[in-house]
Amino acid sequence: MDGAERFERRATASARPKLKKFLLRYYPPGIILEYELAGELMQRSVDLLDLSADTDADVLVNAITRQESMIKESHREPLRKLVKKLQSKLRAVSTKSFSLVKELRAHILPLTNCAFNKSGDKFITGSYDRTCKVFDTDTGEEIHTLEGHKNVVYAIAFNNPYGDKIITGSFDKTCKLWDANTGECYYTLRGHASEIVCLGFNPQSTVIATGSMDNTAKLWDVETGTEVCTLAGHTAEIVSLCFNTSGDTIVTGGFDHDARVWDARTGRCVRALEGHGAEVSSTVFNYAGDRVVSASIDRTCRLWDVGGGRTEFVWRGHSDEVLDACFDASGARVASASADATARVYQVSSGELAHVLEGHDGEISKVAFNPQGTRVMTASSDKTCKIWDSATGLCAQTLEGHTDEIFSCAFNYEGSYVITGSKDNTCRIWKA
Amino acid sequence: MGLLSLLRRLRKSGGEARILILGLDNAGKTTILRKLSDEDITTTTPTQGFNIKSILHNGFKLNVWDIGGQKTIRPYWRNYYENTEALIYVVDAADRKRVDEAGYELNEILGEDKLATVPLLVFANKSDLLQAQSADDIAESLSLFNIKDRPWQIQACSAKDGTGLEEGLRWVVKQVK
Repeated sequence: MDGAERFERRATASARPKLKKFLLRYYPPGIILEYELAGELMQRSVDLLDLSADTDADVLVNAITRQESMIKESHREPLRKLVKKLQSKLRAVSTKSFSLVKELRAHILPLTNCAFNKSGDKFITGSYDRTCKVFDTDTGEEIHTLEGHKNVVYAIAFNNPYGDKIITGSFDKTCKLWDANTGECYYTLRGHASEIVCLGFNPQSTVIATGSMDNTAKLWDVETGTEVCTLAGHTAEIVSLCFNTSGDTIVTGGFDHDARVWDARTGRCVRALEGHGAEVSSTVFNYAGDRVVSASIDRTCRLWDVGGGRTEFVWRGHSDEVLDACFDASGARVASASADATARVYQVSSGELAHVLEGHDGEISKVAFNPQGTRVMTASSDKTCKIWDSATGLCAQTLEGHTDEIFSCAFNYEGSYVITGSKDNTCRIWKA
Repeated sequence: MGLLSLLRRLRKSGGEARILILGLDNAGKTTILRKLSDEDITTTTPTQGFNIKSILHNGFKLNVWDIGGQKTIRPYWRNYYENTEALIYVVDAADRKRVDEAGYELNEILGEDKLATVPLLVFANKSDLLQAQSADDIAESLSLFNIKDRPWQIQACSAKDGTGLEEGLRWVVKQVK
């Protein structure tokens, strides 16, 4: 036996994971196991996507213990307490209504998109004035103006959950990577031949994906700012992209009527999700990463089984173009937004229509669940956002005040703040 | 409209054209656009960003972008140059004090690479007002006769009563069809 082999055997012998700590994740509910393996600290998440306030905590703890060998008898009680805590968080549903905290007139031209970081203490806005601005949520103070793009800043994102980096995608065909704390530009990512209109970090914050009107998406290395590969296959503009939770897969949606699933490590197209009869407007993964929902100008939404590449449901209720769709945090429901001025909520397991959200006077271009899944928010060309009770489908509140249509809106992770970005050049902060 | 429709209007597609309306603040750009789309023109306010309307002209679709003309946002006109197929420049023919300023801005625009060879229609607006200059005088002030690199046309019009708008639009459609 030579030295290398001996070393390997020893490593195997000590390679039993040792649980160090439990961490909680509220939305979607989960418990993160922090453990030591061969001297290294690692994490693994136990997702509890079906957890509800009525779940029997003891039964669940038994199941987790059976499934995870590193959880010992002595861990059962702390584990049970954590499950109870997650349940109490689910029970503590806030029904407080939102009120306007501040109107931000920082941009001199219409806003495009807006986004929170995970902790919710900061948010960013993109604008036709070629800047992205970083704001403090509590004070509404402008912390940084990210300047340098030569055209509209359209797509923006934080590297959540870390929140220390920002990317901006512009009509000037470049993407810029920024330090969220100092406002300093790390890299300008050049290579696309047309406007960049969608982008995102993988959840590990090591890779950036950009989607462009040049029909391609590209992957970039966060560390070096260099291009890793080009995702070629769409025959028209790519307007939507999303990483799955583990960060190894990307879904893109294009004006060529298709969605495509890509291996984020190789850039290879794994699957074309074909079936829509017109441009795809939105594509997103659920948390588990086994389903994708796509919205289309063909007035339908489709739920896809990613592994099999087949359509599970075609939701045909809308009478006009579907402009946006999303999952709730656990992936149990889908909401869709349409030019027909309604939004719809569907059950993913059965495909059943749960609610039609009626009340807007103009097309709805954005829809989002709050992280708790108790509220749905819609942004409309009627200059308002509406907050809906996702259990009843009734409008709980209308956020009024913008003087032109609303292009974007977002909840923070706690669901206690809302930001709305409008064509009227302002962003509004609302607090529950 | 929504952000997605902004992207859809960025694409080039057959049977439609992207038209840009520029000009100084208060020239009447938005009023012209509204009049062309048969909308109420009594409530027009200064455009802080842009307005987009699709106008159908004999089965041909014009995606018209009307961009705010205030001095602070003029540097952003360049945002909208990509894929423009015709430029409509609106001048307040009754505002003699600002003709030079209008000429300066037009000259800047015509020097832009992305707008090279793009057909130019100048609307000499507010021609219904007594103090309005004639289209010829405006053309002279704007040095239109020196333009050699593109087709151009000047059309006197009144956005208020609609005079001249149809003629101007017809010329534009002929250029982009």
